[in-house]
Amino acid sequence: MIQFDYLFRKIVFALLTLAVIIVFNFFLFRILPGDPIKLLFRNPRMTKQAQETIRVQFGLDKPVWINTERLQSGDIGGIFDSQFGAYISNLFQGNLGISFAQRSSVNEILAERIWRTALLLFAGEVVAIVGGIIVGVVAAWRHGTWVDASALIIGLTTWALPTFFLGIILLVIARGVLPTSGMVEPGAAKEGTIEYWLDVGRHLILPATTLAVGSASAYMLIMRSSVVEVLAEDYILTAKAKGLSNIQILKNHALKNAMLPMVTIIALNLGYVVGGAIQVETVFSWPGIGRLIFDSVAKQDYPVLQGAFLLLAVSVILANLVTDVLYSILDPRIKAS
Amino acid sequence: MSIFKRPFQLCIVLIIALVGSVTVAQDSPSKLTVGTTYIIDVLNPTTSLYGYAQKGLFYETLIEAADGANVIPGLAESWSSSEDGLVWTFKIREGVTFSDGTPCTAVEAAWSLNWYIETSAPAIVSYLTNITAVEALDPTTLQITLSQPVPNMVTAKLLYAYILPPHIWQDIPPDEIGMYEDPSVTIGSGPYVMTDYQPGEYMILDANPNYWRGPAPVDQIVYREYGNEDALIQALQVGEVDYIYGVPFTGIPAIENDPNIQIDSALANKWSELSVNWTPDGTSPASLHDPIVRKAIDYSIDRQQIINIAYLGYALPGNAFITMGMGAFYNTDIGEIPYDIAQANQMLDEAGYVDSDGDGIREYSDGTPLEYRLMTDDSAAANFRIIQIISDGLADIGISAFPEVESTDSLIARQVDFDYDLIHWEWDTDADPHFLTSVFTCAEMQDGGWNDSGFCSPEYDALFEAQATALNPDERKDIIWQMQTIIAEERPWLILAYTDSISAYRKDRFIFDPLNAISTMKWALYTGFSQVSGS
Repeated sequence: MIQFDYLFRKIVFALLTLAVIIVFNFFLFRILPGDPIKLLFRNPRMTKQAQETIRVQFGLDKPVWINTERLQSGDIGGIFDSQFGAYISNLFQGNLGISFAQRSSVNEILAERIWRTALLLFAGEVVAIVGGIIVGVVAAWRHGTWVDASALIIGLTTWALPTFFLGIILLVIARGVLPTSGMVEPGAAKEGTIEYWLDVGRHLILPATTLAVGSASAYMLIMRSSVVEVLAEDYILTAKAKGLSNIQILKNHALKNAMLPMVTIIALNLGYVVGGAIQVETVFSWPGIGRLIFDSVAKQDYPVLQGAFLLLAVSVILANLVTDVLYSILDPRIKAS
Repeated sequence: MSIFKRPFQLCIVLIIALVGSVTVAQDSPSKLTVGTTYIIDVLNPTTSLYGYAQKGLFYETLIEAADGANVIPGLAESWSSSEDGLVWTFKIREGVTFSDGTPCTAVEAAWSLNWYIETSAPAIVSYLTNITAVEALDPTTLQITLSQPVPNMVTAKLLYAYILPPHIWQDIPPDEIGMYEDPSVTIGSGPYVMTDYQPGEYMILDANPNYWRGPAPVDQIVYREYGNEDALIQALQVGEVDYIYGVPFTGIPAIENDPNIQIDSALANKWSELSVNWTPDGTSPASLHDPIVRKAIDYSIDRQQIINIAYLGYALPGNAFITMGMGAFYNTDIGEIPYDIAQANQMLDEAGYVDSDGDGIREYSDGTPLEYRLMTDDSAAANFRIIQIISDGLADIGISAFPEVESTDSLIARQVDFDYDLIHWEWDTDADPHFLTSVFTCAEMQDGGWNDSGFCSPEYDALFEAQATALNPDERKDIIWQMQTIIAEERPWLILAYTDSISAYRKDRFIFDPLNAISTMKWALYTGFSQVSGS
């Protein structure tokens, strides 16, 4: 089905992108002004000696990029006895380091948080995709009527609304009715029980809706224009002439072709959704990766930021790779080019 | 990181289920939900520099802080010192246990203090300087020997030296202590025990039934973390939380007139200041090195407007660098700093700073305009309002200062490099003035120390050394008053205001008795609250 060299090219490209991101990720946070240890311990309770101990503990006493001192003393092997060298070698061992602020393993912190963000994104995206496609198809089918016009106006408005603003509006509207913060009521139910998951579900409604509305309008707008375009094709006229029912025409002829741009937009949107998650999680105090990033930026917690960004980058790269592969399956013309 | 004690969770579920079915208000366990934007990052008391409210509930110390600079007995019932002030003897309470049931005597206390010193516990050891030996003479007698007499042995040194159960800590290798984050690190002899903690979400504390002062009236305290200040304030409004301390000033208008919410404020050891950079090797304009210019700037600041607009009335105008919250150490002789644009203008005119090119901005003798960078950090919305008011005042005396907001971290970097002109900072510290007086010493100008302005005087340094060994409280007070006079004249900091610590609670559910609270967070949470019956 899929040509081998097409797949190979895509995978190599994804790996290259990843390598660039890994290097970029390291320097991105270090060009910020300031010193994370100073910030952490700008506290009268901390002696200078204790600050130094911690600086050594986290390897921040070493040069950032390459160890010129050891190079000059003729020790070529010691050139990467630097923060960058430690970062790369740890990364290849699957170790993302230790959080400056939380003093625990970044792997553990991320593992704890990732499934919560995944849950939020999944819930939001499922609603967005299903809702976006249905409304988009209906609007296209009723092209030019009031149904289409109102779907278009509402879609454009919600699409233009910043996520955090929409979140705050929903928060004010729903306060007192739905839980507006956190993932569970503290201590209300034992983790893993049905009550626990029902509680999570109730807490999920507002943040997932906020996330879904933004994406859904994008999907709706694309789906609508895509279906409108397909419906004008000659083969639809042929299908009508063959005496097929509306449903049959939509299902067998229009939708299949209109879905192509949707696959791209859904995959591309993933990157934006992650950005939206940072805002949504901060507004609704959802304890996921987004809020972790928000908090860690303020604390200059480099290891956590590096880890979180790497995780996000990997998921976006993977999503793009999957899209490329899916696309070549859906559209045979891609393989040739 | 996930910390779960399933039996406890099960208990809580059962308790709630039972309460739900019985609904007899008097018998239901009382639960106080405390809202915050930050619970704690690190539980380990040897490295954690935040979360002192929770730590005060988990652990106890020999002596405890009370209101202002006062202290009350903690695990030590009483204490005395030798004539020369070098040997201190503490009588330790009998019958106290840690929350895991193990005994907490003078032996454990001596072990804890020695262990902090031996392992250089980063968050604690700075308090334990000058201690040469700690020894348990018997289970109720602890003896501490000092290398030199210190005036704040009782009022400062022991207030954060938590007494820990040795069996939890003693087998951890020294280089792993700082990274140890097991839930058992929270075991102490305090009024509450941690039963559940989800980082970034919540922390549940249950009353310690065996607490030596008697179990707390509130059975359970739940800390909930919110992602932003607006969500926190709203949570109080809808009743999701019962209590917030450190209410952001910008959140006050939303809850001020709520019939179910009570706002309490108290003068704390908190203040705000405008640091002026006049270090010789700094990047600030030469005009800031002139005391007349600094004085004129001081006179151009409308402190009352800052208090009204930024602090919504919850502050007092500042003048001395020792806060009013530090009680007798605050120098009452330092006069109020006038808000007097006319006089400030006159001072600058007389000193030769005139606007020669008619652009509304005065010039220095070398022709450079009096233009300064005026900055604050982005940690609170009120900060920008403050520098805006300062900027307006400066414009009235022919000084241009455009207000800018930067992250705390980049401001610290600027400060350490002396690469700034004027920075507004918000502060809070311990009640003992030792640290605060050290800020202006010459030594603190080195290696990224705390002295950010350029003030360095042998006279001041000598006074600092003298206060550190003055055993007579009146003598120490006199020295610290002199130090304030010097700083008030030199103006490395322009003290803007002494700010209140503001808390707010749901009065439809809880009664808060400030008399039971003795001002510290531990006491506010231990005995301050009682549930309104039937709520």
